[in-house]
Amino acid sequence: MTDSPSEADREDTAADPHAAFAERVASLVGADAWAAEHETVRVVVRRESWVDALRTARDEAGLEFFSWLSALDWSRDVAVGEPAADAEALEERFEVIARLSSVADASAAHFVATVPKDDPWIDSLVPVFAGAGWHEREAAEMFGIDFRGHPNLTKLYLPDSFEGHPLRKSYPLLSREVKPWPGMVDVEDMPSTDNVEADQA
Amino acid sequence: MTQLDPRVAMHLSDAAVSVELETPDMTLNIGPQHPSTHGVLRLVARVDGERVEAVEPVIGYMHRGYEKLAEVRTYAQTIALVNRIDWVSGFANEIPFVIAVEKLMDVEAPERAQYIRMILTEMARISSHLIFMSSYPLELGAATPLMHAFRERERILELIEGVTGGRFHPNFNRVGGVKPAAGGGSATKKLIQDLPAGFLQQARDAMDKVLTVCDDLDDLVTGNEVFQARTIGVGVVPRDKALEYGLSGPNLRASGVGFDLRKAEHILPYDGIDFEIPTGENGDCFDRYIVRLAEIRQAARIIQQAVDRIPSGPLQAKVPRVLKVPPGQAYVRAENPKGEMGYYIVSEGGRVPYRVKIRSASFSNLSILPWILENQLIPDLVAIMGSLDFVLGDVDR
Repeated sequence: MTDSPSEADREDTAADPHAAFAERVASLVGADAWAAEHETVRVVVRRESWVDALRTARDEAGLEFFSWLSALDWSRDVAVGEPAADAEALEERFEVIARLSSVADASAAHFVATVPKDDPWIDSLVPVFAGAGWHEREAAEMFGIDFRGHPNLTKLYLPDSFEGHPLRKSYPLLSREVKPWPGMVDVEDMPSTDNVEADQA
Repeated sequence: MTQLDPRVAMHLSDAAVSVELETPDMTLNIGPQHPSTHGVLRLVARVDGERVEAVEPVIGYMHRGYEKLAEVRTYAQTIALVNRIDWVSGFANEIPFVIAVEKLMDVEAPERAQYIRMILTEMARISSHLIFMSSYPLELGAATPLMHAFRERERILELIEGVTGGRFHPNFNRVGGVKPAAGGGSATKKLIQDLPAGFLQQARDAMDKVLTVCDDLDDLVTGNEVFQARTIGVGVVPRDKALEYGLSGPNLRASGVGFDLRKAEHILPYDGIDFEIPTGENGDCFDRYIVRLAEIRQAARIIQQAVDRIPSGPLQAKVPRVLKVPPGQAYVRAENPKGEMGYYIVSEGGRVPYRVKIRSASFSNLSILPWILENQLIPDLVAIMGSLDFVLGDVDR
C-alpha cells in the first residue's frame, strides 16, 4: 500500500490521473513514498517535516481545504474486532493522517506520517490550519498522541477524568466483553430464490 | 489586568472549563440544553456586558463512539449505525459509506439503484434544509415559517418512508445497490419489489409543492425587514477562514466558494442532470440562509429530472451474501446537506473493517465557533450559531 514509486508505477501515471497527482504532490513536499489506490491519494512524509509538508501542499499544490485529521493504530494487540491481515509481521506504530483537498477541482491527498508508539508525538498543524485544533484534540484523546505546540490540547469528547485511549486497538469494548458477537446467533437467512423454493418444497 | 474578585474566581473554578479569564467579566453558560443549541451543546462564554469576548464550545454530550463500534460490526451492520450520525438527513449519510465499500470490493450499483439513491439523497437534502428554514427564523423570532416548512417536510418524509420504511433512519442502502422497497422481500412470495406504485408521480407533485413553499418562505422570511436586520452583515466568514476551518456545504458556498461534491465527485449520476450551485458573496448569516433556500429549489429540480429519467432494471448488483472486503484503503466523500461527509475505510480483508474514520460536516462547521463569535453581541450569538445549521449527532458521532 505504501509502495515506493517503482518503474511500473511511473508508467501507470499517464493513465491514472490520481497517480500523476500523487507523484506531483510527493515531489513538491519531498515525500518518502506515495500511492494512489481506489482514487485515494496517499503521500507519506517524515514526522520531522510534517508541518512544512502540509504548508507546502496548501501553498503550492492548491490543497487549501482542511478536510480532517485522524490517526490509525497498527497493532498486534487487538482487543476487539479482527486483527490486521499479517499481524505477526506488523510493525507497531501509529499513522497520523491529514486530508487536504482543493476547492477548484476534485484533487485531494492524504498526508501520512508514522509515529512510533514509544515516543508518540507530532507537531501541531494549528499554526497552518486553525481548523486542525479540534481534530488534533480528538486524535490526542482517542490515540494518546501528543500534538506539540497545540494551544489547548485538552479532552474534546471524553470527560476530563476519562482514562485510556479508546480508539487504540488494545482498548476493550465493554459491550463485546459481555457478549462477544451479538447477532450471529439470531441472524436469519436473507430471502432469496433458494429459500423460497425450499419453503415451497 | 485587574485583580480577580474572589467570588468570581470561585465561580470560575466551579465551571471547570479551560477558558482563560483575565478580567472580572461574567461567565455565561449556555446549554447543554438550550433551544438554540440543536441538541446538547454547551457554550461557555466570557461576556463583557452584551459583548462576547471569548467562547469555548463544550461538546461530547452525544458522543457514541461510532468509529470504535464500526470496528466490531460487519459492513452491513454498520450501515444501520451511520444513518444515525446526522439524523435529519439519515439517507445521505449512508451513501458515502456504501460507495466506499463498493469501491473496495470493486462492484458498482445498477443504474436504477443509483438513481433511487440520488432521488432520496435530494429528498433528504430538502427535508434537512426545511428544518433549517423553520428553526432559523424561529430562533430570530418568527414562528410562522415553521408551519409552512414542516408541512412540506412531512410530505417528503412520507415519501421517504414509503420507499424505505423509515422516516428518519432508512437503513436502505446495501453494498451493491438498495434494499427492495418496503413491503417487499417476503420469503414466501416470489415478488420483486421496487419503488411503491405511484411514487414517481407523488414525487413530482411533492416537488411542485416544495417550490411553492420556497416562494412562501421568500415572502415570509427573505423580504422581512427584521430578519434582514438580524442577518445581513452578521457573522461574516471570509473565504480563507472557511477553508482553513474546513467549512463545507452551504456554509462554504455562502462564503463565495462555488464547490459542490455533487459536481466534483462522480459517485451518483448527477452528470446528466441540469442544476446550479448557488453561492453567496459576503459569507454572512443572510447568505447562508439564502444559499440553503436556493438549494431546496435546485434539489427539487434534480428530483424532477431524475424521476423522468430513472431507468428500469435491477436494484442490486451481484455480491456475496457474507461480505469480505479485500484489503485496501478508500476514502469516499459525498455532498451531505450539511457539507462534506466522508468515510475513510481501512480493510484488512476481514468481515469487519480495521478502521473507519468518519468525516462529518457539522464537526468542522462548528469548530469555527470560537473564531466567529469573538467580539459579537449576545443576541447575534444565536443568529450566528443557527445560521451554521449543525446537528449535534453529526458533531459528536
